[in-house]
Amino acid sequence: MDKKLRTLALDVGYQKGRPVVNRVSMDLYPGEIIAIIGGNGAGKSTVLKTITGQLEKLSGDIRICNRREEELTEEALAKMVSMVTTERIHPELMSCYEVAAMGRYPYTGRLGILGEDDKGAVTDALRMVGASDIATEDFSKISDGQRQRIMLARAICQDTDILILDEPTSFLDVQFKLDILSVIKKLAKERKKAVIMSIHELEFVPAMADKVIGIFNRQVYQIGTPREILRGENLEIMYGMEKGSGSIMEEGLWQYAHSLERLICQK
Amino acid sequence: MNSEKKKTAYLFGALTVLLALCFFFSLKVGSTDVTLKELFEILLFQDDAMYGKIILSIRLPRVIAAMVLGGALSVSGYLLQIFFGNPIAGPYVLGISSGAKLFVALCMVVLVGQQIHISSWFMVAAAFAGSLLSMAVVMALAGKVKNMALLVVCGVMIGYICSAVTEFVITFASDSNIVNLHNWSNGSFSGISWEHVRISVFIVTITLAVTFFMSKPMGAYRLGEAYARNMGVNIKNLRRILILLSSILSATVTAFAGPISFVGIAVPHMMRGVMKTNTPILMIPACFLGGAVITLLCDCVARSAFAPTELSISAVTAVFLAPVVIYMLLTRRSNVHG
Repeated sequence: MDKKLRTLALDVGYQKGRPVVNRVSMDLYPGEIIAIIGGNGAGKSTVLKTITGQLEKLSGDIRICNRREEELTEEALAKMVSMVTTERIHPELMSCYEVAAMGRYPYTGRLGILGEDDKGAVTDALRMVGASDIATEDFSKISDGQRQRIMLARAICQDTDILILDEPTSFLDVQFKLDILSVIKKLAKERKKAVIMSIHELEFVPAMADKVIGIFNRQVYQIGTPREILRGENLEIMYGMEKGSGSIMEEGLWQYAHSLERLICQK
Repeated sequence: MNSEKKKTAYLFGALTVLLALCFFFSLKVGSTDVTLKELFEILLFQDDAMYGKIILSIRLPRVIAAMVLGGALSVSGYLLQIFFGNPIAGPYVLGISSGAKLFVALCMVVLVGQQIHISSWFMVAAAFAGSLLSMAVVMALAGKVKNMALLVVCGVMIGYICSAVTEFVITFASDSNIVNLHNWSNGSFSGISWEHVRISVFIVTITLAVTFFMSKPMGAYRLGEAYARNMGVNIKNLRRILILLSSILSATVTAFAGPISFVGIAVPHMMRGVMKTNTPILMIPACFLGGAVITLLCDCVARSAFAPTELSISAVTAVFLAPVVIYMLLTRRSNVHG
């Protein structure tokens, strides 16, 4: 199968010569979900921001659908990669429908007027995230959980092969987390989207991820399956935990993770 | 969705009718009152006997200028609001109009002093240069001051400095050519000629057309830089274009009518309330119509409230529109956009 996204020895950071994370190399295939984990400030967001082009890469290579990122125009890139960030937006007097419909930007004409296809795609995306009933509400007046659904719907109707999600579940209650993650899982498995997401809640990782990238000490600490990565000794190192507490953590984590996996997969 | 479209169409219809009514009303009132019948005869037959001359060569250009420039000013403010992602922005409160004023005054005083005739185009160019310069100062400050209300305070201070220097320059240049510079520097539509009107209409029409075709990326920019970029917007270009368009519009206004206060900040806010939307493709025409109506009415008040003494247009717009701005500042949630 074709790789959708590749990074080769990618250095990311805010300043030349001072990379936050060094030499990130990964391959992402269609239908696959990669979870990036690591402590606060480890540089998960920095990696994702670099891939979406919000930050300039310091060195290395990013290949999107087998083409170097530099060769792609903004419009072409917009049809390949969509994202949900942790940044909160404050649009004034915009309905949820309008916010989600912004995802159709790369497909509409000079004046951005939605055609029938576009409207269909927006309605579909809103239904998929379970937000059809709040479509007409003012975006600034809904809850954080609802907002996250709308932002995901926006990314979905942008209709890209690659989805980049920065902590899509932060600040949400457990039911909202389950809802959002089920949708993401469905996108990968049913629509063959390639997903890369950063996540703090390790208990959801086994249900979601095919591969896990653990970031620690300015580099990729390990890449592997959730089974390989989410082990006591790795957690102790990555999160700077006390000796011995990792194994206690591991035991409980996997039990909870199994329950959550059942809940996510039954949807 | 369909009923919403209908409502929008009605609102635009109502605004257009209102503007037409204000247009005829403004032509009618003034130091010499004419009846509606006389007014139509004058307009239709270009009859310049009796009051005709007053209407055709003084009042008509003034009324058209107030409409076109008022609308332009309001759109200029709307562009700045999109740029800053915040409705508390406008060319006057950010000191941009005053920067334009200072440049125009300097050019006039220096060049008129040397007996050089200044063309209207040159005035617009000078105002544009002044706008861009104060814009650059505001942008440099915006990099440091993240709070919009604080940035506005800085803008008002820049405005005061520019106005003070302008006053200074004008006071010491007592050439007879510069006598009416004093009126202009406080904002006034009096003495606007047909040449000014032609140039204004030309510049404003082209700029508005370009603005209208920028409404798609402007719409996306409302979701913030990161998302706009993800949708394929070239952020750097968009920001440059927004600044250029906004500066051209406010510079044209300032070159011919001086700095006009609060129209740029308050009218877009009022139009958002009327239209119940912030979609640029609707807001750009709505701001233009709204700005035209309000500026026209304020100009009527300016020339007829204490006739034959004329008030400066900024004094009138300030009385009516500053409360709107205060209301806006008070009712906004303080956590929005820092």
